[in-house]
Amino acid sequence: MPIDIPKDKWPGSIKKITLGATAAEGGTRAKSITLGGQTTLPYLHFEAPTPNSPAIAIEIKSRKPEDWSPLLAEVWGEAMNDPAKWAKKAEEAGADLIVLALMLADSPDDAVKAVKSVLSASGLPLIVWGPGQAEKDNELLVPVAEAAKGEKLVLGICEDKNYRTIVATAMANGHLIEARTPMDVNLAKQLNILITDMGLPADRILMDPTTGALGYGIEYGYSVMERLRLAALQGDSMTQLPMIVTPGFEAWKAKESKVGEGVPESWGDWKARAVHWETLTAVALVESGADVIVLRHPESVKRVKSAIEELVMA
Amino acid sequence: MALSGIQIYKMLPQTNCKECGFPTCLAFAMKLAAKQVELSACPYVTEESKKQLAESAAPPVRLITLKAGTEVKAGNEVVMFRHEKTFYNKPGLFLRLKASDADLAKKAAAADAYKVNYVGMDFTLDGFAIEADGDLSAAVKTVRGVSKRPLILISNDPAALDKALSQLAGETALIYAADPSKYETLADTAAKHKAVLTVRGDSLEALADLTPKIQAKGVEDMVLDLGGKTLGEWLTLSTQARRLALKSNFKPLGYPVIFFAGQNGPEKEPVYAAQAISKYAGFVVLDTFTPELAYALLVLRENIYTDPQKPIQVQPGIYEINAPKPESPVLVTTNFSITYFSVANEVEGSGLPAWLVVTDAEGMSVLTAWAAGKFDAERIAKAVKEFNLAEKVSKKRIVLPGHVAVLSGELEEELSGWEIRVGPREAVDLPAFMKQALN
Amino acid sequence: MQHTLTFTGENIHATITVPTNTLLADAAQHAGVDIGQPCGGQGRCGRCAVQVTLGNARRRSTLRLSPEDIAQGFALACQTVVEGDLAIYVGPQEKIERRLTTDRVVAEITVPPDYDYDQVQSIQRVHLDLAPPSLEDQTDDWSRLQTALRTQVKMEKVACSLHLLQTLSDTLRAGEWQVTAVVERNIQQPEMPMRLIEIYPGRVDEYSPLWGAAVDIGTTTITLWLVDLVSGQVKAQVAEYNGQIGRGEDVISRIIYSSKNGGREELRQRVLDTINGLLDTACKRVKVRPEDVMKCSIAGNSTMIHLLLGIPAGNIRLSPFITSVNHPPLLIGSEVGLAIHHEGTVDCLPGVASYVGADITAGVLSSGLEDSENVTLFIDVGTNGETVLGNRDWMVTCACSAGPAFEGAGVLNGMRATTGAIEEVWINSESLEPTYRVIGGGKPKGICGSGLISLLSEAFLTGVIDKAGNVNLSAKTKRVREGSHGGEYVVAWGTETETGEDIVLSRVDVDNLLRAKAAIYAGFTVLADTVGVPLESTSRGLVGGSVGKYINVEKAVQIGLLPDMEWSRFEFLGNTSVKGAYYALLDWRRRERIGDIARRMTYIELSADNSFYDAFTSALFLPHTDMTRFPSVAQALDKT
Repeated sequence: MPIDIPKDKWPGSIKKITLGATAAEGGTRAKSITLGGQTTLPYLHFEAPTPNSPAIAIEIKSRKPEDWSPLLAEVWGEAMNDPAKWAKKAEEAGADLIVLALMLADSPDDAVKAVKSVLSASGLPLIVWGPGQAEKDNELLVPVAEAAKGEKLVLGICEDKNYRTIVATAMANGHLIEARTPMDVNLAKQLNILITDMGLPADRILMDPTTGALGYGIEYGYSVMERLRLAALQGDSMTQLPMIVTPGFEAWKAKESKVGEGVPESWGDWKARAVHWETLTAVALVESGADVIVLRHPESVKRVKSAIEELVMA
Repeated sequence: MALSGIQIYKMLPQTNCKECGFPTCLAFAMKLAAKQVELSACPYVTEESKKQLAESAAPPVRLITLKAGTEVKAGNEVVMFRHEKTFYNKPGLFLRLKASDADLAKKAAAADAYKVNYVGMDFTLDGFAIEADGDLSAAVKTVRGVSKRPLILISNDPAALDKALSQLAGETALIYAADPSKYETLADTAAKHKAVLTVRGDSLEALADLTPKIQAKGVEDMVLDLGGKTLGEWLTLSTQARRLALKSNFKPLGYPVIFFAGQNGPEKEPVYAAQAISKYAGFVVLDTFTPELAYALLVLRENIYTDPQKPIQVQPGIYEINAPKPESPVLVTTNFSITYFSVANEVEGSGLPAWLVVTDAEGMSVLTAWAAGKFDAERIAKAVKEFNLAEKVSKKRIVLPGHVAVLSGELEEELSGWEIRVGPREAVDLPAFMKQALN
Repeated sequence: MQHTLTFTGENIHATITVPTNTLLADAAQHAGVDIGQPCGGQGRCGRCAVQVTLGNARRRSTLRLSPEDIAQGFALACQTVVEGDLAIYVGPQEKIERRLTTDRVVAEITVPPDYDYDQVQSIQRVHLDLAPPSLEDQTDDWSRLQTALRTQVKMEKVACSLHLLQTLSDTLRAGEWQVTAVVERNIQQPEMPMRLIEIYPGRVDEYSPLWGAAVDIGTTTITLWLVDLVSGQVKAQVAEYNGQIGRGEDVISRIIYSSKNGGREELRQRVLDTINGLLDTACKRVKVRPEDVMKCSIAGNSTMIHLLLGIPAGNIRLSPFITSVNHPPLLIGSEVGLAIHHEGTVDCLPGVASYVGADITAGVLSSGLEDSENVTLFIDVGTNGETVLGNRDWMVTCACSAGPAFEGAGVLNGMRATTGAIEEVWINSESLEPTYRVIGGGKPKGICGSGLISLLSEAFLTGVIDKAGNVNLSAKTKRVREGSHGGEYVVAWGTETETGEDIVLSRVDVDNLLRAKAAIYAGFTVLADTVGVPLESTSRGLVGGSVGKYINVEKAVQIGLLPDMEWSRFEFLGNTSVKGAYYALLDWRRRERIGDIARRMTYIELSADNSFYDAFTSALFLPHTDMTRFPSVAQALDKT
């Protein structure tokens, strides 16, 4: 019996955006990464191919983080003390790009130095996050944006209360921005509108819809991403942006990954569980449309990469 | 196809007689549209309308129930995306065991006994799939010796199945699997034992050809094995089958599907199972049982199958923002996630340390919760005591949201020894308030 | 080529010669004729319309002008260029403003054409001629009156209060057995006993007024119309903020307050004080006494009615949301505490449920929705943001807490739509200087609802605030500044205002307005979704509310309060609730229909799932997160 498979024909598509600039493009990256371009829901190849595979980023910090799980300290070792070495190690672990998170203790000079050292140690495109406090973010990200002019960095994290300075400096220095909103379709769209209203082209925005880890609200992030992707395909230009998610950050915040003692026996082996936690969080988000997946553990990177390959394979 | 409230209303008597228990026919029609009430509640509906409404109400994916000492349900799903309504029946997680395994009883017992608690709920695996690479009946007997959970019997030998199923009187088991080359005898066996029959085929077309034939043999309850050798292939097949059932109302594929997560090795198994859980599987069969994997998958399943129509909530409790010290201020708000986020983000962004007490307001915002009586002095006081706030802070002072300034008097009575301060109405004004008023 | 232009108008006589293609506005300026251009000459506001009575001019834009306007020669001075000799009439500003195609002014209230006092009014005044008693005729006074009622005006079974009995003998004798009685009858059930309300000595002119009052108890504003029941005419209209506001801005706060010790009685007293004050003001205006008012019909949401009657309201807010009474019986003035005639009838109109009260049933009646063939949307821009969608076959309704912002309350410089209220604002998109119009024409005291709507829209279109409502502190004007509640925009400097204080729009005000409009918009969109009726398919949009004397539909669409339909589909009905009460006051058949509406209406609980919250956050943006819902606003933004 021949079956007529219902196929969706969408009026909209995801914008293509390029992270990082090679020498030919005015930067120093060994290669740039293009994301987006999808014309249908994730990995439904009977409707359309996946034009650009999602990218995996590994998160590193400008200084050794004191609050990271010992499991992570174990795998990254000494490299955690030096962002350049850490970046190199991340590249070896299979990262497609690097997220460098600046810390509160950094001065603007420290921040610029850290960014420059990472840029020279690794040829991967770079995302730079401020420490997460409005004033401090602006203080660090402006000199970083200027010092790395032309590299097409992604500067983060823009939120509705603090986006103007970062957007302005991204515009002035040819960078992209990461726009984060707290797990809400409307808020995501609104921030994108506010940012493009300032004059930054939409193809320089990476949308961060925020997510929760497995067991900590992942379903909200999952559904918000599905809805954003559906809205984009239905033609809503303010949602037609590639999405970045941070399962590494979220999963390693969870008790399940972070600690090995004082937890129920039914939780099983700590290390295996931690990797499951990060991997499963990440894979669920890949299925719902993530384009950049920021991870922390090399084993998760390996597994998520393998999953992406199987999904992208036609 | 689902009808809207107005469409259903037009088929009702429109007399507003109230006998159904609703104030108007339209109110009743909308409850029908939302599938929250049965049509039989209307004593005056015509036979013609009844017929039409029954057709629109038939589930596009058949409900399948496996029964033993416990029950597993699959099917009855109505949406492609959980946000559209909800996913109803969580996919059953089964562990595959080999009949030839010398440790069969031990393995089954360990997996059967597994129990893990997640936010107050106890989760377990749902059952076992027994592969007939040895004596199936003996294996069933062994497993039944240690577990009362439903079974999947992996065999295409009608005689062996017949014997094994005879030991499972009163149960509903799942047979795996009939394929186009050999379905008749398996269908007979399934019909005889009232078992559910898995149907396997190389393509959706092959499956769609087969299910009506099996139905003709008297087996109504089926489960589909769609095949698929990679994540991508399975995603495609599973999406297509679900769409055909839901969008095209294509009955030959209107059955739950089963997926074997271990087919490409243990390293890929967690990810395979995870995709199957989010992407429409009705039964997921694992080859590996470890507590850490079971826990992760059970939590994922719970999360994906949570009703998204319920307000988004955060866990009530005390949240530490910017590493608060005992003398840091105490703020209080409700557990509606957006409310929590806006407060937490403002304070976090300001760099000021604080203790944030999140009360259980059933997921409502401050004003809504207060209006509904879910955020009052009594509840706040209860939270403060329950979370042992007094042990964490040295300065016994609580900042109330400005919108519920009226509660300050009562809260003082409820929490003697605590100073109650009224904060700003809007979260955006919190940092300024904390800098100026709290020093 | 040169052309001669002649400008005329009140105190205007000017002639000037200009070359071809000169902008009319420039020509006027050179000729010393002042034509206001509040929007900065961008053809947005339509305020610079003049009438070309002779000659050729080319209109670049006809936005704001109807075909009839153009046929009459109207042209926007800022959008029209000279192509020949012209004679131009510059009309007075006030007239031009009212020409705007976007304005919806409340229709004058007229007596329903089918009003027949004798047939449909329950309060009747009758003249009786009693035979005086004598030694032969020993009938008692009361029986004598009853006999007269029965034989002369066919009024059987009339009941009477003790108070009337106490004064009966004096009244009969004072009038020398000629008396005028005011009787309440039950037209629907004639077998029920009638009730004697008052008896006057002597004969009263049958065409002299017999007084009634229609009252709408809004959560924020109370409105009272004094009505002559004989002619049906409204003789005075008064309104005041509800005296309960100080005890909470919304119904929930009021309910909670009323549940406290003494709170219920206090709130009852406060609302009575407001109504009795209004009654007094209205009566003074027509030189009668409040006790001359024989009947009062009252609309209001269920909470307001409970609080007026001193009935516990606590269960209204708690699940399962049950009122004590949806349909109160007829009461009398003295027991309710109203200052009308102590025996006068008090008719509290029936509601549907806790959150859909008599204000909406009455509003539906007066809006005509229950009678319309096509699906109609009725939006009440009030504190409880009720919406009704439907037609003569079905009606659904919902309520959402919008807050009092559009009634001018809870806004820093907000006020009711009375003398001194800024009711319209335009902001020049270049200079960011505002132009405003004040009710009564004097110095401004504050801003009323319609003024807030136009101010919010203008601030948004000119970039004073962004789409999220953040005040743009880098805007190049001294009118934008950091205030005590974040950024603010100065609409009027202290030197221009009645109070000497600046009139500003603050960030907090913007938030309140955004929330109010978002709640209302979300309410009717979710309602339409719930029943599966696309909003676009509604044929008419009826807008009610106490925002002011008029509403600028375009501005209301631009802020995303009203859906983006053709302006011509909207009607502004003003306070529909008091109008419904007025109809009920006059005509028992209409009063019955309100009861029928209450039975037919289906209430939708918006908080049942997430969709309202979703629609609300989506609407919490200017005009809306989904711009495709507002194509006309997208166009307007492109132009500015």
